[in-house]
Amino acid sequence: MKLFPPFFTACLLGHLVHADPVSFSKDLAPILLTKCQSCHGPKKAKGKYRVDTYARAVSKGAGDHPGFTPRNLDESEVYYRLTTDDKDERMPSEGDPLTGEQIALFKLWIQEGSKFDGEKDASLASIIPPPVHPKSPERYPSRIPIQALAYGADGAELFVGGYHEITVWNPKDGELLRRIGNVGQRVYAIDLSPDGRLMAVACGAPGLYGEVRVMDTANGKLLDVLARTPDVALDARFSPDGAKLATASTDGRIRVFEKHEQAWEIFRKFANHSDWVNAVAWSSDGKRLASASRDKTAKVFDLESGKRIVTFSGHSGSVNGVAFHPDGKQVYSTSEDKLLALWKIEDGKKIRDVHRFGAGAHKILSHGESLFISSNDKIAYEYSLKEGRQQHQFTGHEDWTLSIAFDSLNKRVASSGFNGRIHIWNHPDAKAIHSFFALPGFSSVDSANN
Amino acid sequence: MKIIYPVLYLFVFSLICDGNPSVSFNHEVLPILSKQGCSQGSCHGSPHGKGHFRLSLRAFDPSLDSHTIFREELGRRINPIEPEKSLLLLKPTMAISHEGGERLKPDGFAYKLLREWIREGCPTPEEESQCIKLEITPGESKLLKWPDFSLQLSARATFSDGSSRDVTRLSVFTTSDENVAVVDASGKVSGNNRGQVAILVRYLEQVQSIHITLSRKPEGFTWKAPPPVNYIDEKVYAKLRLLHYPPSPLISDATFLRRIHLDLTGLLPRTEVVRDFLSNETPDKRSQLIESLLDSPDYAKYWARKWGDLLRLSRKQVGEGAVYKFADWLERSIATNQPYDDFARDLLTAKGSSLLNPEANFIRTTINAEDAMESTSQLFLGSRIQCAKCHNHPFERWTQDNYYGLTAFFARTKTKKLGKSGETFIWNAKEGEVRHPVTGTHLPPWVPDSGAFEMPPNKDRRQVFAEWLTKPGNPFFARVEVNRIWAALMGVGIVEPFDDFRDTNPPSNEPLLEALSRDFVKSGFDRRHLIRIIVNSNVYQTSGESNEFNRDDTRFFSFRQPRRLEAEQLVDALGQVTGKPMKFHGVPVSVKAVHLPAPDLLKRNRSMIGDVEFLKVFGQPERQTVCSCERAGDAGLGQALQLFNGKLFHGMLTAGDSLFRKSLSAGKTLPDIVENLHLSALSRFPNEKEQAIALTYLEKATDKGKALEDLCWAILNRNEFLFNH
Repeated sequence: MKLFPPFFTACLLGHLVHADPVSFSKDLAPILLTKCQSCHGPKKAKGKYRVDTYARAVSKGAGDHPGFTPRNLDESEVYYRLTTDDKDERMPSEGDPLTGEQIALFKLWIQEGSKFDGEKDASLASIIPPPVHPKSPERYPSRIPIQALAYGADGAELFVGGYHEITVWNPKDGELLRRIGNVGQRVYAIDLSPDGRLMAVACGAPGLYGEVRVMDTANGKLLDVLARTPDVALDARFSPDGAKLATASTDGRIRVFEKHEQAWEIFRKFANHSDWVNAVAWSSDGKRLASASRDKTAKVFDLESGKRIVTFSGHSGSVNGVAFHPDGKQVYSTSEDKLLALWKIEDGKKIRDVHRFGAGAHKILSHGESLFISSNDKIAYEYSLKEGRQQHQFTGHEDWTLSIAFDSLNKRVASSGFNGRIHIWNHPDAKAIHSFFALPGFSSVDSANN
Repeated sequence: MKIIYPVLYLFVFSLICDGNPSVSFNHEVLPILSKQGCSQGSCHGSPHGKGHFRLSLRAFDPSLDSHTIFREELGRRINPIEPEKSLLLLKPTMAISHEGGERLKPDGFAYKLLREWIREGCPTPEEESQCIKLEITPGESKLLKWPDFSLQLSARATFSDGSSRDVTRLSVFTTSDENVAVVDASGKVSGNNRGQVAILVRYLEQVQSIHITLSRKPEGFTWKAPPPVNYIDEKVYAKLRLLHYPPSPLISDATFLRRIHLDLTGLLPRTEVVRDFLSNETPDKRSQLIESLLDSPDYAKYWARKWGDLLRLSRKQVGEGAVYKFADWLERSIATNQPYDDFARDLLTAKGSSLLNPEANFIRTTINAEDAMESTSQLFLGSRIQCAKCHNHPFERWTQDNYYGLTAFFARTKTKKLGKSGETFIWNAKEGEVRHPVTGTHLPPWVPDSGAFEMPPNKDRRQVFAEWLTKPGNPFFARVEVNRIWAALMGVGIVEPFDDFRDTNPPSNEPLLEALSRDFVKSGFDRRHLIRIIVNSNVYQTSGESNEFNRDDTRFFSFRQPRRLEAEQLVDALGQVTGKPMKFHGVPVSVKAVHLPAPDLLKRNRSMIGDVEFLKVFGQPERQTVCSCERAGDAGLGQALQLFNGKLFHGMLTAGDSLFRKSLSAGKTLPDIVENLHLSALSRFPNEKEQAIALTYLEKATDKGKALEDLCWAILNRNEFLFNH
């Protein structure tokens, strides 16, 4: 407060008093989330105090007073911590104090009675109103890794994860068709509903936020924002009947939403993983979910009972992809440990290592009778789903391949690389057709040799 | 700073606009991450990193770091479209809370450099030239005179492709003593006090240091010192004069007598010795006393014990049988004034049975080749090289290669326990190599200064090492022993800690150390000669009291640093004053504490624990390591309690047959008894005041024996008794 001349404070308060009351969700939650939660959250609870939900933020930590006491600044521990001159007690303990403006918001909110405008036990990230994302750059100044790909229903459009957008390309000639904006900074997965009308986008900015956006494929209209977390969302998959949507997030949660008339409602939540959930996959009957996690395990869940059925611990690195075997009794998984493994749901025991890649492998795309896998060994692979026999290798990427999409109608395979380039392959003979940088306006001087 | 910033902008700007547009990952980005502390051992440089982000310790693995920063977790740490939104910049600026705190300022050089590197798409060339030389301006040493107590350092690196550039902004600067001077991130040194300091500069794998002396003349200071007796006084006075620390006055005969006895024999002079010496009017009686003490068995026993401390001479380490034999061997070596080079060769090359060849017990106490090398380095090279076992030494030039190269000398040394209790056999195998833990290759024997060694085939490697070590030109060998002896006599080493030689811990008086070492080598490594010349100097015979001008000197020998009596010295002194010496298990009753061959002759015995406890409380080492630091010289509550009414002390004072009670019953007068107590405990006559206070108290008392106990208690609790001053 020292930085703040009383006169200016008065002006600011005057201004705020006339504005709407301070909103916990809109005004305070973003501050608590970015400035406080890393030390006072689910991972660490210094001073036995957490701020990750409203209910926790207003509770007492190890100190004498609750975090916030309505209309009582003196008995609001957080307010004291934010404003004290005592360097040992002031929060945030590292770095600069909050700005005068931010502190004034807390003050006013306490004076107004610490009212809450949301669900008390919901996480901060989920109650902050969804952001309107900044515009994408007209021209990309540099490359970005492309981690999400999906073909439109008729194969005429290829949806590609961009920077704060989904770019839509003509896969035949690499022409940019349209751009769908208002998307999180980085896109980790794109999934189209079985009828092709909806598009789910798992996205976020590392260390800042994560979310899954549901959009109208045809016009890019935003329909819903789901699974909001303090770090990125890594996967989103529609159920085979399109009535449900499963998401995978860096908070270790799998969320399953159910489509209602107006919106998607939460149906199940699985918190069994101890680290990022990298991918989810549906069984063909839509009754089960498989998950892959950075905690080095893969799991299978039963949606009806909401229970975990099995954990597979046979990988020695982060598990990046999963897919059900058509018999519904076995699961494929890929990992940082370079293996494509096949294991039994019954007992979680490995049946065999189907393939050893030259480097870590990513998500598995299960399509028809095939599995498609991209790997950091710069190759994309196809296996028969039933026998796990290798069908094709798509060779020609200059960098890690990160994602893959299959157009069964036109018999085309698209794969994307860490260097931002997309290769289109002819499926029957795995021959390269052409390639292009899926980066609007990016002119790569050295693209000729890369 | 105002002057530097524009220059920086220009620098960064030139990086962008110049013909050489790229920020170098190896030469700039990694040093910056190291400099900002990101890759230090307690943060992302720890073996498991922090928050899933792991960097190699102090950036020793560039390709791993490039992968981690640019690619790991699908490039989440880098945002090439909007570089300032990269996690790599958001976290350390605390835009996103960061447990490691604020490490970057958005307007700072480091931030801009990283941002520019990201903007360029994080180029990480596989082949970049190596830094082969680091030069510090203004050189290796510098004298600063008040009020000009600041100095801008600059660092210049030369690379294997022949290029060179200024790396001041990329280098890490650390000071050896913040009390004397601090150094900021830009390499600007600011002096706080007069004294001497080493500033260490690190860039990539290169380490350099500059030694800075800060001199400030206090108001009212005038130089006054007695005429030098020998070169020691000349060298010390030259330094003191430069720093404006006048030496304290020389000591009285009484103080000298007590000091020289404690330092050479570990014992207090007996009453009659004090009387004789104080009444002796021979002009060179101090030198004569020195000679006679150096020839005494007490000297050999006491200095052998010092080596026992370092060579892990204990029952636990060498077994019951070898304890006495090894202790005898050490004592004989000192008593016969065995040349130090010979002594070291004996220890390092010993073979055969540990009972028949007691010197073999040094190798016997080492666990393996690495331990033997570490112990040898600390004892004879004054280097604590252990850090280099797992990674290149962070503050020194020792590399992991050096560590294993040195170890190779001991790779063929084998030990085997024989049937006889406590007997171990030591021999050299024909084969045996040391494998580098990272590269897996065999390393040839290597020594500092000369590099890898051409090893004559079939030659005993230890022999070769010992020959290299004890050659007169060896840069470590003589200096380490000279410093050890100096520290034993003066209380503080010229290098301090006295067995920790490194660039960042420079000697407080290099010319002095150099002159002593040269003299030592010239004398044929004659330890007695070295002691003689030191204790005859004015510097040794200077008072333990400081004055207003030298009070804050702790390193340059303007006055004697008083030390608490060592545990064994104290026990013997108490025994002498009370006439009730402590008795020890396993040795004849006449053996004094300072002559004990090992600290653990007594098996654990509950009834005796009070006595053993006394020695432990006062810092008697268990002799588990070759580090002199094992002997604790500090003070503590336990010591105060022992001296208040501890079992041992109480027993000595209250014994019916104590010296003062016997004197009382023999009819000695109270003034005589008081005088003897002072002579015995403090090596001097009581002054009038002391005499008067004591006699008033004693005469009033009905139980004279009890009153004498009180008086004795009071004298033995005086600092003048408890300290070697």
